[in-house]
Amino acid sequence: MKQILVFILFSALLCWFMFSPIYKHVLIVRQAVIQKEVDLLLEVGANGSHGYISEMMLQESRQRLAARGFISTDLQYTISTSNGGDGTDPARPVLRGIGIQLLISYPYQRLFDIDRLIGISPPDVSSRMTASGMKMSEYVP
Amino acid sequence: MHKIVLYMLLLVFFMTMFALQIDEEVSMNTLFRLKHGLNRAAHAAAQQLDEQKLAQGIMSIDSQAAEEEAYYYLQSNLQLDIDNIPLQGSFLESPVDVLVFEIINENRIFPYHYVNDDYDYEVTLQRPGVIMVIRVEYPRIYHVIGPITWVIKGTAELYPVI
Repeated sequence: MKQILVFILFSALLCWFMFSPIYKHVLIVRQAVIQKEVDLLLEVGANGSHGYISEMMLQESRQRLAARGFISTDLQYTISTSNGGDGTDPARPVLRGIGIQLLISYPYQRLFDIDRLIGISPPDVSSRMTASGMKMSEYVP
Repeated sequence: MHKIVLYMLLLVFFMTMFALQIDEEVSMNTLFRLKHGLNRAAHAAAQQLDEQKLAQGIMSIDSQAAEEEAYYYLQSNLQLDIDNIPLQGSFLESPVDVLVFEIINENRIFPYHYVNDDYDYEVTLQRPGVIMVIRVEYPRIYHVIGPITWVIKGTAELYPVI
């Protein structure tokens, strides 16, 4: 009887303890995957034959990330250049010497909800994980 | 009663293991991010052509512009301020030391073999280039793992302008 009581008292803690590390692991992996995607897009976008990150490249990136379990409509891409240009137009590539900046963000969704079991309130619903980078374009017309 | 004690001890033990695992995973991601940031900084520095020398047909790196660009790209990729101290919300906590910033210019004989015994680094350059070494401390989350300090090395060569 006493043991059952103890088990009930501990059950919330036990549930958190069993599943929380998995959610944390998912968080780390998602963060790593979008960071890799930033690296890839910058590597391709800033090379000598591109100089831009076009809408089509972003579509392909969304598909790649969707294959890894991301919801593609929730992904946000922010592209800018160090001289204030656009950076997304294949007809007007970013020239050599100018940096292309890319930021990908994705909502945390309900990854932190399990922390409620031990009384930690999750971050705001609108807060997002981000991955970013800047690389100098190599494009010479 | 002694079973509760056993539960608690097990709980503590497993939590420590999970903390260790999470810190190790995050540290690997941080290392990759630092390495890519450093590569981009070296890459940006190596693209700074000295235009006066280019007019004479010599491919050379403008050392002042190279240093400025290297720091600018390092700081924006690693989220640092102008003194290399992490900004609010950065994934780092302690300042980044730039240990080596060396420009290998056109006055050497290529292929040039660069050796740095201090940081155990060797690289062969085919063209003028930039070598950078930084030291970064990993901001541990749980302090279960021992302190980690990385010495990260990166090199980039001048990308030819056709």
